Amino acid sequence: MKPKELSAQTSPLDIALDAALGRALRSPTPHADFRIRLTAALARAGQHEDAESARMQLERERLEVLAELESGYLRLRRQTLGTLIGGAFAAGAGLTLLFPGLKAVLGADAILVVAVLGGIAGLTIAGTSRLARSALVRPLQRVWEDANSDWQEPGASANVR
Amino acid sequence: MPRAMATVAPTDSDILALLQSGALERAFALLLDRYEGKVYRLCCTMLRDPTQAQDAAQESWVRVWKALKRYDERASLSTWIYTITRNRCLSAIERRRELTSLSAEEFEGEAPALEAEQPDPEDSSELLRELVDLLPERQRRTLVLFYYEDRSVSEVAEMLAMPEGTVKTILYRARAALGKELRRRGLDDPSIWLGVRS
Repeated sequence: MKPKELSAQTSPLDIALDAALGRALRSPTPHADFRIRLTAALARAGQHEDAESARMQLERERLEVLAELESGYLRLRRQTLGTLIGGAFAAGAGLTLLFPGLKAVLGADAILVVAVLGGIAGLTIAGTSRLARSALVRPLQRVWEDANSDWQEPGASANVR
Repeated sequence: MPRAMATVAPTDSDILALLQSGALERAFALLLDRYEGKVYRLCCTMLRDPTQAQDAAQESWVRVWKALKRYDERASLSTWIYTITRNRCLSAIERRRELTSLSAEEFEGEAPALEAEQPDPEDSSELLRELVDLLPERQRRTLVLFYYEDRSVSEVAEMLAMPEGTVKTILYRARAALGKELRRRGLDDPSIWLGVRS
């Protein structure tokens, strides 16, 4: 077998060695099942890619929901702050207008009565809100809802009929 | 003649045209037909183990398939595929090195001495392979691939990402080292090698 491109070998040993190397280093060929295994590997890679893109889609959706919740929370805080400030000023204005009348009815302690009534109203709102969030209220709520549904069912079924 | 044209092996330009038209699967099938053997031989040369070479070749083709739609023609198809394959093989070598805690010289060493035990003189072909295995890794890799690729310097240069002049120099040194070792062992009679049977 004559070398195509390598012309460095000049001695008989070099030429003989080139021929011997050509015989000793024969090209290996892929295994017979290489294509089958490759097809299976490609299918697995495709499935993995599908799972990966589904995971990324879910992750994107989750981030969108979180961003939405975040913006809703901020909106709620702004609304609460606005209501508080607006409510305080409106109450002050109302009290200034009504105070002479209240003083005539309730006497010198009118200011104390108004302050106590305001305090009770504020604490009631805060207490109700806190209770609504506590676990103690949930069983009561369930009982209440069950009672309501029992009470509503006959009417509902009557409507269906 | 349509029949004759059907038997002509597709060229890289044909495959590129398919890629540009979006026929990825057909292009991949033609790439596989064209480069399957070369990729496997490159893996065998770099990894020295047929099983690992098969795995590395498979991983390389999976990478090629995944990246095919992003192929941007900055490098030729063959260069691109060989680069992916070499990187896979280097990763495999790295993994193997981590597993076996082999020293760096094992794979990329600078000319370990040719200290073969005296092999069975009956099997000259085996002796030759053993001597080749004892060459420095760069020389061994280049020499083996040169014979695998039917003595094509340009093909070896592309597969190993080396200039052709460098490949020729390495081949010259590898053959000189082999000749020197054969002379040292008194096996420098050309008639011994002309009669080698594998």
